[in-house]
Amino acid sequence: MSMIFGVPMAVLYGQLLIGVINGAFYALLSLGLAVIFGLLKIINFAHGAMYMLGAMGTVILFDTLGVNYWVALFLAPVLVGTVGVLIEYFLLRRIAGQDHIYSLLLTFGVALIMQGILTNIYGVSGLRYSMPDVFKGGVNLGFMFLPFYRAWVIVAALIVCFGTWFMIEKTKLGAYLRAGTEDSQLMQGFGINVPLLVSLTYGFGVMLAAFAGVLAAPIYSVTPVMGSHILIVVFAVVVIGGLGSIGGAIITGILMGVVEGLTKTFYPPASSAVIFLVMVVVLMVRPSGLFGKEA
Amino acid sequence: MRRWVENDNVDMVAGLVASSVTIATTKVLEENNKLGLVNGSAASSITNEHCTPNHIHYAYDTYPLANGTAGAIVKEGGKTWYILTADYAFGHSMEKDVTAVVEKNGGEVIGSIRHPFPTPDFSSFILQAQASGADVIALANAGADTTNAITTAAEFGVTQAGQTIAGLVVFLTDVHALGTEVAQGLQLTTGWYWDMNDEARAWSDRFMEETGARPTMVHAGIYSSTIQYLNAIEKTGSDDSQIVRKQMMDTPINDMFATNGRIREDGRMVHDMYLAEVKTPEESSGEWDLYKIVRTIPADEAFRPLADSSCKLVSSK
Amino acid sequence: MSQNAGKEYEQLRISGLHAFYGESHVLHGIELIVNRGELVTLLGRNGAGRSTTLKAIMNMVGRRTGSIMINGEETMSCAPHNIARLGVGYCPEHRGIFASLSVQENLTLPPVVRSGGMSLEEIYSMFPNLYERRFSQGTKLSGGEQQMLALARILRTGANMLLLDEITEGLAPVIVEKLGEVLLALKKKGLTIILVEQNFHFAAPLADRHYVVEHGQIVEEVSASELHAKQSVLDGYLGV
Repeated sequence: MSMIFGVPMAVLYGQLLIGVINGAFYALLSLGLAVIFGLLKIINFAHGAMYMLGAMGTVILFDTLGVNYWVALFLAPVLVGTVGVLIEYFLLRRIAGQDHIYSLLLTFGVALIMQGILTNIYGVSGLRYSMPDVFKGGVNLGFMFLPFYRAWVIVAALIVCFGTWFMIEKTKLGAYLRAGTEDSQLMQGFGINVPLLVSLTYGFGVMLAAFAGVLAAPIYSVTPVMGSHILIVVFAVVVIGGLGSIGGAIITGILMGVVEGLTKTFYPPASSAVIFLVMVVVLMVRPSGLFGKEA
Repeated sequence: MRRWVENDNVDMVAGLVASSVTIATTKVLEENNKLGLVNGSAASSITNEHCTPNHIHYAYDTYPLANGTAGAIVKEGGKTWYILTADYAFGHSMEKDVTAVVEKNGGEVIGSIRHPFPTPDFSSFILQAQASGADVIALANAGADTTNAITTAAEFGVTQAGQTIAGLVVFLTDVHALGTEVAQGLQLTTGWYWDMNDEARAWSDRFMEETGARPTMVHAGIYSSTIQYLNAIEKTGSDDSQIVRKQMMDTPINDMFATNGRIREDGRMVHDMYLAEVKTPEESSGEWDLYKIVRTIPADEAFRPLADSSCKLVSSK
Repeated sequence: MSQNAGKEYEQLRISGLHAFYGESHVLHGIELIVNRGELVTLLGRNGAGRSTTLKAIMNMVGRRTGSIMINGEETMSCAPHNIARLGVGYCPEHRGIFASLSVQENLTLPPVVRSGGMSLEEIYSMFPNLYERRFSQGTKLSGGEQQMLALARILRTGANMLLLDEITEGLAPVIVEKLGEVLLALKKKGLTIILVEQNFHFAAPLADRHYVVEHGQIVEEVSASELHAKQSVLDGYLGV
């Protein structure tokens, strides 16, 4: 078997694929953050909590109402999106236009409250969610055993990412969003209901997070704190990609998953730090991020 | 913690979970001559190189966990081992203990990997363990890391491909979270099980009424050790840590937690440990009916013998 | 003409309008009336409050008091996005072309607010350059083309009152001439136009009336017929 730095090629291919799978989660989450930052100019610290709500919601919907995976895949994001719209309408709107720090603290507080309430009810040891039967098992690719569900994660995440990109870059609604990002006041002058657009955008952004949460439910341990772990990494991903860049968020997400996967192979102890290391380097060389517009 | 002891005059500290925190805490206790009852932490070093006259390690530690589980698996033919180690004090201690046990029993550790603590996704590490071709993949981690690793291993078909997963620190709540479907057949060592005898059952029923869940060995250990501590205070009429500790050492422990347990001079409470196997979904009669006890490991055999101890309290004798 | 021919229809009536940006008080009681089909200019020096008057009409300033009636309807409590729906088309200073949108996206961005707007085909035949470059990024156009685009996109919406802020600024004479033609054509179609303009020579032959703004107030009103007689007064205000 051929080797690279003492690692068999087969293992390396496997790690690349695993990296893409984890990157798919990063991509979904950072995409939502980028969409929200673009129009609202806020850094949504509640994003991890929304991801957690998506996953917890999937488990709770199943345990209490028997809602199956496929319905949850649709229902949980819609419910979380609704929560997001309410948060925007009742809380974020009141501090619109203030310094970044206010929205940062507010969303962080919202995240802690949600995390706290759910910890109180469900504890932090993790809920169980059974894999849907159709995904049990996997396929042997020769260099690794690929569980069907992980393959589905890639497909689903890519479809949603591409769909979101298409909607933003190629449709009328997306044109509103892009224009609003540049000059929302003028948009209002044209008769576009920008406050509504803002609410819906926030709702949509957190829907993406919740969708990632549903995808995560069968494979990651579902706990009220799962969002806070991943959030910091995703922020780093967004910073690396360049705040507000839609395509950049997707590509960087997947790229960072791969970088992390390779680190887990070659030097595991650094795997939780490597993304931040990349962030530091990128900020030094290109402060606006890999895909950000030069200021 | 330092504030509790130094300013608030707290005499006894119970619980103590993360091993690295526990080790730091016991130093403070020693400086102030208070008493700590350690239940949650696992590192065997707590009563070995880090022993103090000011704490008692009660429910379990890594030594019997490694000894019980790893010893049994090697004897069943799991000769080559790959260890996934949580990258902090407890994981390192566990890895060391496991390696010793495996080698003593004629097995071989062919590789290990240190993963960050905590790790939300184990797929990358499971893949490497899988590629190693080892008979046994041992998990020198705990809590969510262990359950994540076991779930991921099940997903990636590790057991179907003929490899065995050895969970070294597995609590009842972990198995409960995993479910019998994923965890069935998993062998583990525990210091106590709620359904192991009438006394334990009776106490667990009370616990269940209060909390809605079955207690783990840590819950039971905290309860038992606290009762022992209060009894000792009552008997001696003193709350001085050394008088209380002496009284506790002199009193054999017979309660819902242990039979003929005793506290050694290194602060280790030694009692029988149990090798358990997780029931299959068919065998399990309820949400919490999760273990069958395969073997009782006598106290003398379970814990690190004093002869091998590097505790300062032992060598000075 | 309709039954009330001859009777002038007040499309816009502003009275006692004050406007503030934070602490600074910019408009101090603007009074003006614009009838349907009129082309009115707001003249004055930089910082006199002309652009702010347009923004105040659009509810784009920090705070306003007074009264702004559009088509006889009070709009002081109207949300900003509802102003356009009364048939108002706003072309901001510096044109407000969106860089992240293509020419065509810029053109079709503002929603249609009334029937009777120009179709995309009509617009492209009026501005052939925009058709040729319809897939380019909006801000890649030349200054003149961008100005045409900014104008064209409010013509599409069917707005019948246009607020145009400094549309000739920084443009070559030949383009300015073309803009003059466009404005005359729009006037012929019966659109009401309020023009904030620096270039008096551009505005003079087009306008029915001129208002001179100074220190946030209307200080002079000059109709087209009085223009010659009041030329020296105007020159004084405008510092020509």
